[in-house]
Amino acid sequence: MQWAIAIAAFLASAVEFVEAFTIVLVVGITINWRSSLLGAFAAAATLAAIIATLGVALVKWVPINDFRLVVGIILILFGLKWLKKAILRYSGLKALHDEEAIFEETMAEIRARGETIVPRFQPFGVVLSYKAVLLEGLEVAFIVITFGSSTAVNGITSAAIGATVAGILVIAAGAIIKAPLTKVPENTLKFIVGIMLTSFGTFWAAEGFGFEWPLSDAFIPILVVLYLLASYGLVTWLKWNKQHRLAMANTSSASISTEQEKVHS
Amino acid sequence: MKVIKAIYDFLVGDMIILVGVIIAMLVLALINTISAFAPLRAATGFLLVVAVLAVLTATLYREAKGKR
Repeated sequence: MQWAIAIAAFLASAVEFVEAFTIVLVVGITINWRSSLLGAFAAAATLAAIIATLGVALVKWVPINDFRLVVGIILILFGLKWLKKAILRYSGLKALHDEEAIFEETMAEIRARGETIVPRFQPFGVVLSYKAVLLEGLEVAFIVITFGSSTAVNGITSAAIGATVAGILVIAAGAIIKAPLTKVPENTLKFIVGIMLTSFGTFWAAEGFGFEWPLSDAFIPILVVLYLLASYGLVTWLKWNKQHRLAMANTSSASISTEQEKVHS
Repeated sequence: MKVIKAIYDFLVGDMIILVGVIIAMLVLALINTISAFAPLRAATGFLLVVAVLAVLTATLYREAKGKR
């Protein structure tokens, strides 16, 4: 057992597992667990097939940067779509009582009647979960192979043990924080998902172009804060815009009624 | 045509977001391939953040205008 390699692989893999698990968790809570887990298991199966076929040659044959770019672009598209909807709802420009809300109400009524709801597979959730787990899984495989290949004896085994322990710990930690997350309001969760998808998408797409972020993976929380602040600014601007329009409309209707009173008198 | 529309709705469902992100990616691809733009390569990530925020602002601006 090469402890230095196992610890290095554990730390590097833990970061990747956290990234993948974040997406699986938010898809599970906001869409449904069936879709999220299907995507995650499908990705794990794909990953196992790729590793079984290519083995250590994986590093040579899989264009990880191209893959990061494609996944990043798709996550940005998904993220912006969700973020836009959430910002419009917070600013009051999009009514909360839309089709989605009606669907949620119906679900709540069914639950209140004590009937069980069989969640359907949502392609959106499956794809999101699949892509995140596959990309991060590939990165873990890259870490294990590159760290493990640096020593001749037991290198790959030590790195694989480090990565496996990291995976188990991250999944266990995720299972603990799952329960409190389900109590967060639906729109807030969707807003958070939009922020997370946009942040991960930006991070991976830029890496796909070969860009190296300052502080490496630790820059993701900075991106999250940046997008949160920008979204707060946009919500404030849209609210002000709405109030300004209402004030204008009130002034013009008041002046019309004054004119009408003058005509009648 | 229905298939394309279904994919478009599934992926993004908003023309400003789709076109904006495509333009941003094309510009970044140019920066990362043409040697004259080499000094900008070090700012690729930050340019992408600015582009994403610009796209989000543009699509929200259209929604705000549309509600008038």
